[in-house]
Amino acid sequence: MDIFLQQLANGLTIGSMFALVALGYTMVYGVMRLINFAHGDMVAAAAFVGLTVYTQIMGEATSLGAVIMIFLLTAIVMACIGVVLERLAYRPLRTAPRLSAVVSALGASLMIQNGIMLVWGPQMRIFPELVPQVYWNLGNVVISLIQVVILLLSLVLMVALYLFIEKTRMGAAIRASSIDQDAARLMGINVNRVIALIFIIGSSLGAVGGLFIGLYYRGITFNMGWQYGLYAFVAAIIGGIGNIPGAMLGGMLLGLFNAFIAGYISSTWADAFTFILLIAILVIRPTGILGERVAEKV
Amino acid sequence: MQKLFKMTVALLAVALCATPALADTLKVGVQAPITGSYANEGQGIENSARLLAEQINAKGGVMGKKIEIIPCDDQGTAMAAAICAKELVNQGVSMVIGSYTSTCAEAAQKTYFNAGVLQTSDGTADSLTEHGYWTFFRNSFPNSAEAEFAADYMVNVKKYKRIVVISDFSSYADGLGNAVEAAIKKQGGNVVAREKVKADSQNFTPVLTGIKSKNPDAIFYAGYYTDGGLIRQQQVALGIKADFIGGDANDNPDFVKLAGSAAKGAYIINVPTPEMLPYEVAKNFLADYKAKYGSLPPSIWTIMNADGMRAFIHAMEQNKSFDTKKAADYLMNMKQPIPGITGPLQFAKDGNRIGSSYMTFEIQADGKYKVAHAQ
Repeated sequence: MDIFLQQLANGLTIGSMFALVALGYTMVYGVMRLINFAHGDMVAAAAFVGLTVYTQIMGEATSLGAVIMIFLLTAIVMACIGVVLERLAYRPLRTAPRLSAVVSALGASLMIQNGIMLVWGPQMRIFPELVPQVYWNLGNVVISLIQVVILLLSLVLMVALYLFIEKTRMGAAIRASSIDQDAARLMGINVNRVIALIFIIGSSLGAVGGLFIGLYYRGITFNMGWQYGLYAFVAAIIGGIGNIPGAMLGGMLLGLFNAFIAGYISSTWADAFTFILLIAILVIRPTGILGERVAEKV
Repeated sequence: MQKLFKMTVALLAVALCATPALADTLKVGVQAPITGSYANEGQGIENSARLLAEQINAKGGVMGKKIEIIPCDDQGTAMAAAICAKELVNQGVSMVIGSYTSTCAEAAQKTYFNAGVLQTSDGTADSLTEHGYWTFFRNSFPNSAEAEFAADYMVNVKKYKRIVVISDFSSYADGLGNAVEAAIKKQGGNVVAREKVKADSQNFTPVLTGIKSKNPDAIFYAGYYTDGGLIRQQQVALGIKADFIGGDANDNPDFVKLAGSAAKGAYIINVPTPEMLPYEVAKNFLADYKAKYGSLPPSIWTIMNADGMRAFIHAMEQNKSFDTKKAADYLMNMKQPIPGITGPLQFAKDGNRIGSSYMTFEIQADGKYKVAHAQ
């Protein structure tokens, strides 16, 4: 039972990081029908940007205010990079065949990854201990402050995003654009602006995810984006790609699945089982858990 | 004019060659990678040998004979090493210090053996002492020594009852992990789990959670610092009260940074850096080295070679003979170790150095090392 509860805590922590990153994939797919493969590397870049903000701008301060500033500044920087990425890599290809856009996304992914390597170097960088190492013992289960912070902040962000999408006019515009871009345009929605907005939201959520990875795991490498990107992508598909609550659910489920496989079977098998799960979902329910059944367009 | 020049050169050459031959000297060859990628280490070996020779000569030499150092650059390649061996033998050396790499030492071994020339190297490959050459003495410790030391420390010194051994899948780490596990069992210790983790996977809490239920009092990690630091941090975060002992690849400043405040109290096993050597002989030698060359030796391996040379000269002086076979017999049958720069010096019959210079370092609150155990 102790193992179960401990893995539950671990799984929810990793799951909320996956969910934050998965939201970026799913929102872009929902509106543009494009898998933004560069998103994982944007997450990695965010961790490095956060590190630089910490050392260069905040002067290595670790107060609560400084930590909030690091999150805000990193999110702003990444949002700008996200918008630029969309302008340069995706907008020129919007009417091109789907494959061209995917290749462009892969190219952007490699470019960001190598860009990180050139700026910050190929060796592992150490993220500062911004959240104090505080632990609570609940019986034999240990919960750390950082786990609580990650889980709570992720939930707050996800609820805020859900309300934004469902209750505001901009949210309605995003939903409309994801159903039919041409019709949305005819209704007077500026689709370009909607797309820029989803890149801003996706990139800043990814930035928070990247900072969480740095805070939780401490060591960050230039090529770690691929691994987290892949997991988040799987999470988005499990939940139903294009569906926002689906990405949140998928992320959490994947985190828990991973933790339990690693805890009860073997951590070396966790990846293999993750992809077996992906294949099973694609075979049994290709649109994901919360994805709507869409009629094939012939 | 041309004739005069040629004559001068000839005369000079004769003079240069003849001088050492006239004054009867003890010729000591240094076979080391003086150029190439290990140049730093190779030059350190040559410098150490020259410093020792200078010190011994200042005291009157070895039984009246001055030591003459004859260096040969093997560039860290086996081919150049074989040529060096022939050259040094032709020049009539009675002992050779080096080389730095196991490969170069091994390539030259047979030539020295055939010529009856003593050889000492810091190469750690186990195979070096498996050929049965009586001329070869290892002045460092073979790879298997780390596992023995680690097991001895955990089983006999710290008296751990429930040890977990973790490694990643790399051949170095897996090999060390298996060797440590075997050594613990051989010494009567109890390994409650042998786990393997994927390097760079960052999240080790699932594995550690499983380990927690085994209630261990020690965790030995055989992999690299990039994962070791995180394992230590996540181990403390999970409230596993076990001691952490890291193998030599955890010895990196980034280990402390990764583990953060959890680094305190972790143990790391490795050979010491020269300035960490606690012995009186070491302090004097290093002070002299720094005075002569302006910096400390590049690594402990270079001064281990100096220890090999000291052992050879010690044996000759004890025997009152320059005979190499007698010196080798003496070294193989020493009852008491002689104080070396890198610790007590004593050899087994196969030419392996006995003991090990491995040490356990405990990480302090400020991230600095404190020697917790030395053999």
